[in-house]
Amino acid sequence: MRFFKALLISLVVLSTSLSAAAESYLIKNATVYTSTAKGKVTNTDVLVENGKIVRVEQNIKATGDVVELDATGKFITPGLSNPSTNMGLVEIGAVSSTVDAATIEHNMGAGFNVSTAINFRSTILPQNRINGLTRAVVLPRSGDSIFAGQGSVIALHSSAKGLLNDNVAQFALYGSDGARKAGGSRAAAMQLLEQAINEAKYVRANPSRFYEGGNWQFSQSLNDLKALYPVLDRKVPLIIAADRMDDILRIVNLGKKHNIRIVIAGGGEAWLVAKELAAAKVPVIIDPINNIPEFDSLSVKFEGAGILYDAGVKVLLTGGGTHNAYLVRQSAGVAVAFGMPKTAAIEAMTINNADVFGIKNYGQIKAGMDADIVVWDGDPLELTSNPDLVLIQGEKQPLVSRATRLRDRYWDLIGNQKQGFVK
Amino acid sequence: MNMKKLIVFSLAASLWACGEEPAQKIEVEKPKPVYVSTYKPLPSEEFVLKGATVLIGDGKQMDNASVWVKDGKIHAVGLDIQPPQGVKVIGAQGLWVTPGIIDVHSHLGVYPSPRHENNADGNEMTAPVTSEVWAEHAVWTQDHGFNLAREGGITSLMILPGSGNLIGGRGVTLKNVPSITVQGMKFPDAPHSLKMACGENPKRVYGSKGRSPMTRMGNVAGYRAAWIDAKDYMKKWDDYYEKAEKGEDVDPPKQDLKLETLAEVLRGNILIHNHCYRAEEMAIMIDIAKEFGYQISTFHHAVESYKIADLLAENNICSAMWADWWGFKHEAYDGVRENVAMVEKAKACAIVHSDSAIGIQHLNQEAAKALGAGNKRGMSLEAKDAIKWITLNPAQSMGVADRVGTLEAGKMADVVVWNQNPFSVYAKTLQVYIDGALVYDRNDPSKNAVSDFDLGLTDPEGERL
Repeated sequence: MRFFKALLISLVVLSTSLSAAAESYLIKNATVYTSTAKGKVTNTDVLVENGKIVRVEQNIKATGDVVELDATGKFITPGLSNPSTNMGLVEIGAVSSTVDAATIEHNMGAGFNVSTAINFRSTILPQNRINGLTRAVVLPRSGDSIFAGQGSVIALHSSAKGLLNDNVAQFALYGSDGARKAGGSRAAAMQLLEQAINEAKYVRANPSRFYEGGNWQFSQSLNDLKALYPVLDRKVPLIIAADRMDDILRIVNLGKKHNIRIVIAGGGEAWLVAKELAAAKVPVIIDPINNIPEFDSLSVKFEGAGILYDAGVKVLLTGGGTHNAYLVRQSAGVAVAFGMPKTAAIEAMTINNADVFGIKNYGQIKAGMDADIVVWDGDPLELTSNPDLVLIQGEKQPLVSRATRLRDRYWDLIGNQKQGFVK
Repeated sequence: MNMKKLIVFSLAASLWACGEEPAQKIEVEKPKPVYVSTYKPLPSEEFVLKGATVLIGDGKQMDNASVWVKDGKIHAVGLDIQPPQGVKVIGAQGLWVTPGIIDVHSHLGVYPSPRHENNADGNEMTAPVTSEVWAEHAVWTQDHGFNLAREGGITSLMILPGSGNLIGGRGVTLKNVPSITVQGMKFPDAPHSLKMACGENPKRVYGSKGRSPMTRMGNVAGYRAAWIDAKDYMKKWDDYYEKAEKGEDVDPPKQDLKLETLAEVLRGNILIHNHCYRAEEMAIMIDIAKEFGYQISTFHHAVESYKIADLLAENNICSAMWADWWGFKHEAYDGVRENVAMVEKAKACAIVHSDSAIGIQHLNQEAAKALGAGNKRGMSLEAKDAIKWITLNPAQSMGVADRVGTLEAGKMADVVVWNQNPFSVYAKTLQVYIDGALVYDRNDPSKNAVSDFDLGLTDPEGERL
């Protein structure tokens, strides 16, 4: 027993010393999309030490034990992020035993926190990080409640150390989806949202009157109401899915009335009220490639994201769902083709997520940031480009996933029987 | 069936010469085509696109070349084209010209947008074999998606029933022109397709109702039973024709819509388009085709084609694939980003398809991802190769490669002008021509179709916002 304890301690020491001894990297002569006020800089070197970006300058001289990489003709961006995924909550969409994204359990709405379900060894994480995604916001999906619950933010490591924060946002539905959760009408959905906010305020103001396990007559469970406190305190944003113009305006007004931070998700018609969103400082999570008109979003168009940006709205780009969350890059390319500046599109996949979800030391190529760095072999938004190097918090990621191993196994077809023995 | 027997006396000179009695040949009237195409090319003028980078569609590229369109057809493509005076010449320096983009897997019109319970018309999931239903009977021509797809360069597309059934029904090939009727969009004389589906969808749909198929075993038994019935039906008709042609007084068998479609597959007149993900299921489907004597045109989705690309090449079967979709169900779990490139590498027929109202607007981007993935792994694919995946190869798969799919003299002038290399994410179509007629112009909205759906829906008093 003592032996095992000693072994355990030495293992802990070993792993600590390993991560402390993260390699240093000097990446030379790159074109860098910094996601800072400097925008894009050329012929620039980036020095990484102890998992952090230390310097971003021209002509840095290597000193000491540093891996030097020539990135002439290549491009650097911060590791990309996607603000709307079920990363780690789903392995195979249609296999229910692998899906933990939602609950229909009664009394679990706003209080549903998905952080304890995230599978950091999901094959989805490597497939995304080898394609340039290093961070993801993990949101629950709505079960029965109009409140889906609390989201987490992760770095795409293959262990629980990837969990950075476990309550970065509350997610709720409005529009036709919200109406369905509220018995069939948007009006009922709005009443439910507002009632929950008012009840949460009341419970918090009168804590001695409400004890756990009591049979209180509220629209939500006591736990769910308490889970809204961080929203009331403006510590986390309330993300509300809405596409229709008047739906969005009503949600903006809800935020103003209760002094809470609103983020609109979907935002198909958000461009129609870009000024109002900018004035109310309401960010929008949008997938610019989705231009399919639904009755919630009849005026949706490719130009929407660019129009929002021009009006001063903080735009967070999403796309690709969960399995291909890295395809937010393709959606960004479409936004750029239809008017959004390229630097803005990259900020909308990096620093803007850090700002909205409070992700510390992430989202820019500048001294002091965690070294989430992708070196691209071409224009970072071009679909023919691929990463040559991915660092997450300074750790070099092997460019291997289950999919690349399948690919390599079958790259040379050598016959039906023999193929089965290829590693 | 309104069948008439026509007696035709034909004089066979050779038989006369042999001194035999003149043969009395009785010609028995065959069923007439129904729901025939009324498609007519829109009015067009002769023009030359001059000085463009031209991707022919068959693997060739010509730089600083001209494309000459006359009478709605490709008249010539070359480096030194000198049209007569008076022919409109459009300067296309710095622009790229490709054949019209073709999507072999679309549900536009049968699962239109806005998508809701009133218009989900793509899956007749009331029986595992519904070869009697036809997608063209459900296409809503006012689907805004047709216009969006046209803006994305789509000039021809095949509308398929869904994959809920083992045999889901006939698909239809359309020219992507604005039309009030489906017949007005139907690609003239394009063969019908028949949608079949492997794997999880049919067994889930029917297994959950407690009926066959509940397993992949049941799937295969279901296909085989259907083909056995089809053979029987075909024989009844063959016997009838044989006897009737000899002059015997026989009544034709009763028309059976379900078996008629299947029999037309066995006769080689309808092309099989088979939704199938897994390698071993595709191999089984190939054996079923051999058992009953039909050819599979194309496996759709074909997420594991890379595992058996040699077998697919050997059997002359196309794979219509997404660039990167995976993981949404177990049979899609082994998806790889190099699938398209690996099928190409094995010299099998590779197609990039959409199966999506979004994807169909960006088939060039989907092909770009496949191109980039293949090259990163060491291939040397170029734009002139990747364009085949969304032009010539789908045209072949759909049986219309004699008329579309490449910019070759004599073919329909379905042409897309791009502002740059179409495999850039920033590329946009500038103009789209179908049979030589300008059907989309990014810089002149007056040239662009407005569907009924678009008309003042969001701003009833004025322009659509």
